[in-house]
Amino acid sequence: MQKKKSKIVVISGLILVALIAVFTICYNVFSAKPSEGSKNVVIEVVNSTGAKADYELSTDAEYLKDAMDELAENNDSFSYSGTDGDYGIMVEVVNGEQAIYAEDNAYWALYVNGDYGQYSANQQPVVDGDTYTWIYEKAN
Amino acid sequence: MQKRLTTKDIAVIGLMVAIIETCKFALSFAPNIELTTFWLIMFTRRIGKKVALIVPVLILVEGMMYGINTWWIMYLYIWPLLVILAYLFRNVESALFWAIFAGIFGLCFGMLCSITYFFIGMRDGGIIGGFNTAFPWWISGIIWDMVHCAGNFVLMLILYYPIDNVMKTR
Repeated sequence: MQKKKSKIVVISGLILVALIAVFTICYNVFSAKPSEGSKNVVIEVVNSTGAKADYELSTDAEYLKDAMDELAENNDSFSYSGTDGDYGIMVEVVNGEQAIYAEDNAYWALYVNGDYGQYSANQQPVVDGDTYTWIYEKAN
Repeated sequence: MQKRLTTKDIAVIGLMVAIIETCKFALSFAPNIELTTFWLIMFTRRIGKKVALIVPVLILVEGMMYGINTWWIMYLYIWPLLVILAYLFRNVESALFWAIFAGIFGLCFGMLCSITYFFIGMRDGGIIGGFNTAFPWWISGIIWDMVHCAGNFVLMLILYYPIDNVMKTR
């Protein structure tokens, strides 16, 4: 019985170690990575009325938040603010329009080249030619 | 196991769901650190098949408290899967085994959640669309799955014997 118990603990331990190794490799190989050097990107903002504003930007920033900071500094018509959370910055106000989930039942959603973003602005790598779109979305 | 549900069973189920929800609320400040996995494993080991009644109540309470959303769909298969797996190994009496078991579950949590995103992506882009939605979503959260794994492992290792001893006496 004791031998069987030890065997099951060892096997499960090996499975855990193997899974950690595979997941680590997958993360290192497939996760989005920032690139160095100059990149030309577009930042779009679609507000609650559906009106769209485009901002073309040439930047060395590695992450979207840095590119947005750069844009806000150089272009008075773009602004944003948010709060830092466990999973990165939660963008709450873009171009003066607030979308806080608890208060407005809406949020600012980030799309990358038309696909729903998987990262917060401070974790989203900036890639040459990408379009980053902030869309005011009502919660269901 | 008695086939009929007794008043005591209903009270115990309510109490167990309350314990899980209280712990969840208490740990809500710590991302991906939770005791739901721990409690569901312990309850499955102690009350066996009757845990099948706790899971739907828990999922329903969660939906009522936090609203029905994508994560709620994930809960519909993730927690039942946990108790089924825990039931299969219920006779194993080893804190280390259950810590590893809880760790593996935490590590795979994101991958299991991504199944829902696979079907969301499949609506527009077929199987490739589903994969392109689910895979990056899973990859982007692997670090948090590691945190989940470590949290589950440590909490189980620390709490297994104290809680198991108390439950044995009841």
